[in-house]
Amino acid sequence: MIKVEHLYKSFGDLQVLRDINLDFEAGKCNMIIGASGSGKTVLLKNLIGLLEPDSGEIWYGGKKLSDMGYEEKSRLRQKIGVLFQGAALFDFETVLGNVIFPMNFFTDWTEKEKVERARFCLDRVNVSGADNRYPSELSGGMQKRVGIARAIALNPDFLFCDEPNSGLDPYTASLIDNLIHGITEEFNITTVINTHDMNSILEIGDSIEFICNGTVLWKGDRHSIMHTSCRELRTFVGANVLARHMIDESE
Amino acid sequence: MIRRFLEAAGSWCLFLRMVFRRPEKWKIFWKQFVIETDKLILSSIIIVGVISVFIGGVLVIQTASNMSNPMLDRMLVGYMVRETLVLEFCSTVVALILAGKMGSNIASEIGSMRISGQIDAMDMMGVNSAGFLVLPKVMSATLLSPLLMLFSFALGIFGGWCVVEMTEIIPAAKYIAGLKYAYNGFYVFYSGFKMALFCFLISSISAYNGYYAEGGSLGVGASSTRSIVVTSILILLFDLIVTQLMLY
Repeated sequence: MIKVEHLYKSFGDLQVLRDINLDFEAGKCNMIIGASGSGKTVLLKNLIGLLEPDSGEIWYGGKKLSDMGYEEKSRLRQKIGVLFQGAALFDFETVLGNVIFPMNFFTDWTEKEKVERARFCLDRVNVSGADNRYPSELSGGMQKRVGIARAIALNPDFLFCDEPNSGLDPYTASLIDNLIHGITEEFNITTVINTHDMNSILEIGDSIEFICNGTVLWKGDRHSIMHTSCRELRTFVGANVLARHMIDESE
Repeated sequence: MIRRFLEAAGSWCLFLRMVFRRPEKWKIFWKQFVIETDKLILSSIIIVGVISVFIGGVLVIQTASNMSNPMLDRMLVGYMVRETLVLEFCSTVVALILAGKMGSNIASEIGSMRISGQIDAMDMMGVNSAGFLVLPKVMSATLLSPLLMLFSFALGIFGGWCVVEMTEIIPAAKYIAGLKYAYNGFYVFYSGFKMALFCFLISSISAYNGYYAEGGSLGVGASSTRSIVVTSILILLFDLIVTQLMLY
């Protein structure tokens, strides 16, 4: 479980995050939603330690991130899988090499065991027959799937996804969403997804936090989002034609 | 400007502290060391070789044409070519060439990884990205570049010999006698030391610029250019300092 308490973050005079308080539960797809520029990515980067908050605390299973030294943070990061917006696959490695990469550093497995584990992860995300291809030879959807396979290679306790279906067609986006949801439930991972895609929100949003101008304005799930009285959230949801119809129908 | 320089120098030192952290696994380090040796050292052999042969030949012609005084022994042509090559060309001039070739390669490679999120991905796995990406480059460039200097020295001498043989500008025997005359082995050590120092600067400063690149592809280009300019100036500055310290 991940807990955020009174988190503030600014860049110079620009206050990006203000008094953020969140709880992310295990085995659920916890979504951070909001318009572009609302502070989602900054929040995610604070959560995974790529940025340091100005004040406030982030707790990973009872331990403060700010109290952890280099070694302890390094150990924690081995339990974290991250799917970046552009997948961020390593150009110098093949598909198989990308999935094996974290195993090379943090396991004493034999080459055969590593390949078996990598193939298992790749099969789990429905990528087969591409072991020796390089990331530049893959489609966007396939890169994302390989990114997920790499993220779950070491059986993480936490999975962070930054806009996992951006730039993908609706069908592939839905596949990726369901894949993340399935993996989250199967391995009881605490998954945090950063998105502004309404299809994803309605499909897999077990727990949703709506951020606007750096503050959390609303908390709920995919069922309650259609009945919200939060004006900003209604504007955000209503920007999607299908969602607007659903709101109109429910009213 | 002085403040900016001091800030950058401090930031570079902190970066080096990350780079020289103990590698997570030595096996991975040695594998990367071999890969980087191929990319940085072996791939530079052709350019260094071609330039060295031609410069060696040109030095013979220029030196001979400036020594028309019959009182001067023609053997001194070989002597002066050797001294010029070993003292300045094979380390400083070759390092300036490598600042362009090796420096831009390192800065653009690491900079591209930075802007595409690959370095963040490594950090998030708990891998020391600076150590994994930069340490093998710095070690390979620093430890093996003196071999490149020796190679350049040998080919420079060879280039001079070719010109002597082809043009008979001076007798070949005189050229060879000049090469052997008043040989000082310390000069080779001095030149090798300079080369190692220059390549340390090239690899670490270029990696630093690439590692902190920002602003998309334009930022990568800027970091590459900055690396070449900064390392070229520092090579000349340290050439002066090291020469004063070691030769005077």
